[in-house]
Amino acid sequence: MMTLPFFTAFAAMAAAWAGRRTAAFVLWAATLAVILVLLRLHATDALDIAL
Amino acid sequence: MSHDLARALNGLGLFAVSVVLLVAFADQLVLDDLPCPLCILQRAAFVAVGAALVLNLRFGPRPSHYGAMILSGVAGAVVSARQVLLHIVPGSPGYGPTFVGLHFYSWAFVAFVAVVAGGALMLLFDRQFAADRRAAAASLPVAATAVFVLAAAVTLANGVSTALECGAGLCPDNPTAYELLGGK
Repeated sequence: MMTLPFFTAFAAMAAAWAGRRTAAFVLWAATLAVILVLLRLHATDALDIAL
Repeated sequence: MSHDLARALNGLGLFAVSVVLLVAFADQLVLDDLPCPLCILQRAAFVAVGAALVLNLRFGPRPSHYGAMILSGVAGAVVSARQVLLHIVPGSPGYGPTFVGLHFYSWAFVAFVAVVAGGALMLLFDRQFAADRRAAAASLPVAATAVFVLAAAVTLANGVSTALECGAGLCPDNPTAYELLGGK
């Protein structure tokens, strides 16, 4: 699961280099979405700070 | 700023992102310092920045590519700020070794702020967007290809390394061994 953003980012780079701009953009967006979902799954503890 | 100069700067940025990931890899392999889940997500945000830079390098600079770069930088800054805040209480030893006085996640936060500021700064120069896009796509110098190959290879290597460390699931909070290599 945590490997996923690296492979989608690699696919985005490869698609861009192959001239597939729209595919590259979609894969980049998927990478960002996966990063945010994984952060949500990991950042479960309340921070011990006063803001 | 000319189209070619903007493109060269994007190539330099992609090279810098690759160097950051290579330094993290060196720490992992030489010092046997396994990356924690938040550290891995910061690496992933760096490769997302890299993907946006590849778009600029391949198709020429466009505002949408800088937008992707800035959004990736913001995501990375959020992840690294979360880790900084986890260890901000006085007396906390932090996670992992320090590098030139700061932990890697603190450097990552600085780098992501630089990515956001750099992307915004590049957007200020309108003339780079005026060049003929077809001509831009047709002429790619060897150096651009070399930087692309380096960035793609480091990205793929991070995917393989993360698979070895964490398998198919989520990574443990404090990893001590590579799960797929028989460690626990």
